[in-house]
Amino acid sequence: MTSVYRASLSIILLLTTLIAISPAARSADGGQWTMPGKNYSSTRYSELAEITSDNAKGLHPVWTFSTGVLGGHQGQPLVVNNTMFVVTPYPNVLYAFDLTKEGYPLKWKYRPTVSSNAIGVACCDAINRGATFADGRIIYNLLDGHTVAVDAESGEELWKTQIADMAQGETTPMAPLVIKDRVIVGASGGEFGIYGWLKGLDAKTGAIVWTGHNLGPDADMLVKPGSFKPHYDKEVENTGTKSWDGESWSSGGGPVWGWISYDPDLDLLYYGSGNPSPYNSEQRLGDNKWTASVLARRPSDGSLIWAYQFTPHDGWDYDATSALILADLPIAGQSRKVLIQFNKNGFQYTLDRATGELLSAKPYVDVNWATGVDLATGRPSVVEAKLTGASKGLIKNVCPSLEGGVSPAAPPAYSPKLGLFYTSINNLCMDFGATPSARFAGTPYIGGNTPYHVGPAGKNLGGFIAWDAVNGKRVWGTKEEFLSWSGALVTAGDVAFYGTLDGWFKSVNAKTGEVLSKFKIGSGVVGNPITYSGPDGKQYVAVYAGIGGDLSLFANDTSADATDVRPPADFMPDLARHTSHGGIVWIFGL
Amino acid sequence: MSRALLSVLVVMSMAVTVGPARTADKTAESTSKSTPYTPPTIRYEAHIAAGGALPDGGKLINPFAGDKKVIATGEQMFSSMNCDGCHGGGATGFAAPSLADGRWRYGGADDELFQTIYFGRPKGMPAFGGLMSPEDVWTVVTYLKSLPKPEDVPTESWVGK
Repeated sequence: MTSVYRASLSIILLLTTLIAISPAARSADGGQWTMPGKNYSSTRYSELAEITSDNAKGLHPVWTFSTGVLGGHQGQPLVVNNTMFVVTPYPNVLYAFDLTKEGYPLKWKYRPTVSSNAIGVACCDAINRGATFADGRIIYNLLDGHTVAVDAESGEELWKTQIADMAQGETTPMAPLVIKDRVIVGASGGEFGIYGWLKGLDAKTGAIVWTGHNLGPDADMLVKPGSFKPHYDKEVENTGTKSWDGESWSSGGGPVWGWISYDPDLDLLYYGSGNPSPYNSEQRLGDNKWTASVLARRPSDGSLIWAYQFTPHDGWDYDATSALILADLPIAGQSRKVLIQFNKNGFQYTLDRATGELLSAKPYVDVNWATGVDLATGRPSVVEAKLTGASKGLIKNVCPSLEGGVSPAAPPAYSPKLGLFYTSINNLCMDFGATPSARFAGTPYIGGNTPYHVGPAGKNLGGFIAWDAVNGKRVWGTKEEFLSWSGALVTAGDVAFYGTLDGWFKSVNAKTGEVLSKFKIGSGVVGNPITYSGPDGKQYVAVYAGIGGDLSLFANDTSADATDVRPPADFMPDLARHTSHGGIVWIFGL
Repeated sequence: MSRALLSVLVVMSMAVTVGPARTADKTAESTSKSTPYTPPTIRYEAHIAAGGALPDGGKLINPFAGDKKVIATGEQMFSSMNCDGCHGGGATGFAAPSLADGRWRYGGADDELFQTIYFGRPKGMPAFGGLMSPEDVWTVVTYLKSLPKPEDVPTESWVGK
């Protein structure tokens, strides 16, 4: 590295330290990682370019830290003002590492009080999807239904607010986002029949300012007079009750367990809602709006502006909670402000993010529940034989599985430089047997048995692809033996990063998919890599090891609990030969 | 049609489940040494007793132990009360541990299982005693105790590479 380069990096670093404190510049790059998805557009793209496809083979570990916690290490660290912040799965410890000192010792550690009951109310492991930084504070969710704000310098708790009710089946692993003076949060519980919502908290005090449900009466959904203009719905009154039979909306699910994006120009926030409850769709006739949908709201008061439903009357557990990437793409020769999602249901959707108009929907993995999506109506052309319900018995071979063409837990990345999207994918299908289910608040409300099997795309269960959203086609792809559950990262050095379930952390050439480096990091990867510029001006990449999340349900015997021994999953029998539980923060450098 | 069926199922399960709750005492039989102030036994299989002296405790007796008809009802109840939502179909484990492999976090004796279901346990096991009568809880216990215990639970596989 030349000294000129280093000097210029220092200046950039100095600048970013200054601007990072200004909320207006929070989306600027600058070598830090201050939000879950890197920026408001959730691109997971960094302008840092010291690591390139030419030198990435020299990447090696420079630091590791055991979090002392087992279970699924989803989410990602933050790096702000030369400090790395790490949130663990339950019990949700927050670590602050001083990157200016040798060995990165702790500046402080924040240990919240979290109810262990949350472990049994969280459907799929006691995971956490990360924190966000704003105005000198780290803000994140505790699994038991609380949001906390912690002073980033001192580790002092500034406020703690109960946002969710575990007695109703709500838990809170999602990553909040701060937009101006609002903290935006949601709750999981699509397997518990919750009445799904998004909330806006006062960033200064933590007080709940508004609650907008994703279903139910207009008043609950924050449909203000004249505010709600969904592109495809002529009738816009009480869509959240009229599309359900009886009172089924009141325990209809629609959780928020993924990611929030924000467009400052339109002043709209975007998020996806999860599956309708229960899985047995015959207990909730109708489209079930606005579950399995994308919703656009005004951050200040939560007003619902538009919504689009990807999977009407979802009978396959196709949550729409995957990250929504905001990009400007040339569509039919015109630059359009779009929103991109790789939906669980196997389609990659491109929508106009001002209006919710569907511009494109192309399968990015094998899909057989629908033959396509009609752009004129916005509705999928559903294959009759794949419709599920308790009266239909076991419906065989539905693709993709309810784990998703990609899991919403594994957010994609977008390189505006190359115009390409990067995502993990799964080659997994399922049989779907719905059963009648009764709801007892706080217990599972599922009604389904859904065995998995490998999909038609060969014997590899996972992979990582580069995707051209303008033309709706795959540019290149790598194959992985096991399911792929890692988020993606891409940089201006044209290097993409991801991890695998059997514990490899890989860098690949973003243009070709050629593997540039790989290192076995001790446990399967279900978290999301990030990159940042260290105090020495060098570029580093960080990622968690720690298998879990949905994988805790069928990842074989990876647990350290003597009373919880798992036999091998029949569709992925060998995984336990390659990994076990472990929670480790890794930092790589050149 | 299936909704009608579901309602019947729910009504049925309510009838068997929300019976006379809060009658736990009737099923508790005191040991000779216990007094009205003696709490019921909570004794995990591997508990260490200080000084080697086991604490005195009330004993809960399963009134249905081994009853085949009750086992079948218990299997249905295991599903209708959403136990399978966490513990999996056949109680072989899902989000929560298997109850069919002979390994118990909070003890596998009948009375220990009763307490686990009736009062709940830390780490997420809900208390069902407010929703299910003691008879219903014993019914599920009887089902769980009927499950055959494998001699070994394989934890790895070599079918692939």
